[in-house]
Amino acid sequence: MKRLVLAGVLALGLSGCSSEEPQVLNLYNWSEYMPQEVLDRFTDETGIQVVYTTYDSNEAMYARLKLLDDSAAYDLAVPSTYYVSKMSNEGLLMAVDPSKIEGFDSVDPELVNLPVDPENKYSVPYLWGTTGIAVDTADVEGDVTAWADLWDERFQGRLMMTNDMREVFHVALRVLGYSGNSTNPEEIEAAYNKLTELMLSVRTFNSDAPRMPYLEGETDVGMIWNGEAVMGREALPALEYVYPEEGTIVWLDSFVIPKNAKNPDAAHQFISFVLRPEIAALISEDIGYATPVVPARELLDEEVANDRASYPTPEDMVNAEFQTDIGDEALQVYAKYWEMLKSGQ
Amino acid sequence: MRNLMQQPFRTAVLVLVWGWLLFLVLTPNLLVVGASLMTRDPATFISLPLTLDAYRQLLNPLYLDVFLNSLYMAAMTTLICLLVGYPFAWALSKVGKRHQVLLIFLLVVPFWTNSLVRTYALKLILATNGLLNNGLMALGWIDEPVQLLYTEFAVIIGLVYLLLPFMILPLYSVFEDLREDLLRASHDLGAGRLATFVHVIVPLTLPGVLAGVMLVLLPAMGLFFVPDILGGSRNLLVGNVIKNQFLDARNWPFGAAASIMLTLAMALLMFAHKLSKRRIGEDGV
Repeated sequence: MKRLVLAGVLALGLSGCSSEEPQVLNLYNWSEYMPQEVLDRFTDETGIQVVYTTYDSNEAMYARLKLLDDSAAYDLAVPSTYYVSKMSNEGLLMAVDPSKIEGFDSVDPELVNLPVDPENKYSVPYLWGTTGIAVDTADVEGDVTAWADLWDERFQGRLMMTNDMREVFHVALRVLGYSGNSTNPEEIEAAYNKLTELMLSVRTFNSDAPRMPYLEGETDVGMIWNGEAVMGREALPALEYVYPEEGTIVWLDSFVIPKNAKNPDAAHQFISFVLRPEIAALISEDIGYATPVVPARELLDEEVANDRASYPTPEDMVNAEFQTDIGDEALQVYAKYWEMLKSGQ
Repeated sequence: MRNLMQQPFRTAVLVLVWGWLLFLVLTPNLLVVGASLMTRDPATFISLPLTLDAYRQLLNPLYLDVFLNSLYMAAMTTLICLLVGYPFAWALSKVGKRHQVLLIFLLVVPFWTNSLVRTYALKLILATNGLLNNGLMALGWIDEPVQLLYTEFAVIIGLVYLLLPFMILPLYSVFEDLREDLLRASHDLGAGRLATFVHVIVPLTLPGVLAGVMLVLLPAMGLFFVPDILGGSRNLLVGNVIKNQFLDARNWPFGAAASIMLTLAMALLMFAHKLSKRRIGEDGV
């Protein structure tokens, strides 16, 4: 009993000095999308503790933020491309204060003022990348150069697709010559029919860590995010990243501050920290995606800077397409066919 | 009422239990029922007016297929759990008390680790480059890796692994209550081992079997992360449909309707459980 009382007193004492508690930044980010070293250095420098929480799809992040709107659980999130416009349109975001951001002028001019956030009122670019084809050249003979090659019979049971409805349909739509952002129900149905042929070949869908099925030896060819291909190459040097002829899927992940963030100052500080060239370079080298911070590219290891998987040449980006918000009606059409596809109809 | 006031401890426990059930069981379930009757709304997830649309959508043959497929996977899981769990629980009730405590402890220890983490661990074992394949090849039993991961087999293994304790524990409790004198009486009256098993042991342990089946069958249909991780997301369980509808399609009324269907299936099983108990009661044991 005495011990219990003691514990109670201790707890009271602890909660009593909450005003001196270290500041906390709640960062909500994609899994494996920020080196621990960056978080540690940020904490060392500012004394702000970073609580790092992860998600594996924009949909999950969106639902979380929308539902926890009032509880202010997060200070910073990293939605992809069109989710920035979706979330700002729905009033989920706080405007970024440009006076508190250092280094915004060093961001690649091609990656700011995009249609998803015309004046970058709500978002600051973090990293950008592409979804292309991974080939385990140790097990695959001959060239794979296009999305259409995935339909080749020799890949039966050896194919990996991302577990992302929009991306998987994007591939089929491009193979059929349509836009990856099609909202035309007939085109979506045609893509579904095309994908049913592919289902025989698909071994697994994975958006958790798309490199893993290749490393596990389960799949030889299929979709992958470029940074995952770069990371995967360390364990499996034969893993090659291919820019498909029909065009890659491009995305830009940006920092946004949820409307009810508890600590927007820390969020601004963190964004400025990540925009520092040496930090941006460290991130890009570590996780294999391309940084939008221009001066950081000069600091990159030569090998990384010349790595086409991370930093594509202009030819690689021919036909590349950003995903856009397709609206709710088309989303329902996609969702219906996605379930039909998964249930083998 | 006066009785309650005289027993403050009992009152406190009752308030706690009823409060718990009211706020953490009844309210959330009513919210789900409510959501299933609303109209889907892209901006706010759900809105008025009330409608039965979500339930109408459930009639789509696609979802019947998903349901039957889930039921099949869950039934296989339950059957394997029963075949393994029944003799296991029997043996468990027969060993000495000290060993019993240890064995039950070992049975429960895995729960200290998150089931998601344990599912990932299974993946490391089943993968083509995994422990099992490497081990078998080192022993020379197989020449090249067998495809285990991302198959229906892997999903069922995963479900059995996660749910087996839920089968064993209720069975263990009925075997503990199984009175030795009844078995002796059966032998004395001339029944052989098989007859005793069929006519005495099985009926007496049936409530445990049904409780185990209930605890395994329904969760097996809802554990969406197992087919996602071990089945390569190629098998849809009802749980996956619910998750997809809530997250990807943002159709909350439909996701809620699907989860209510699962709850109803559960209620049906519990009803069957109750019936079986009553029958045994009438048999005069």
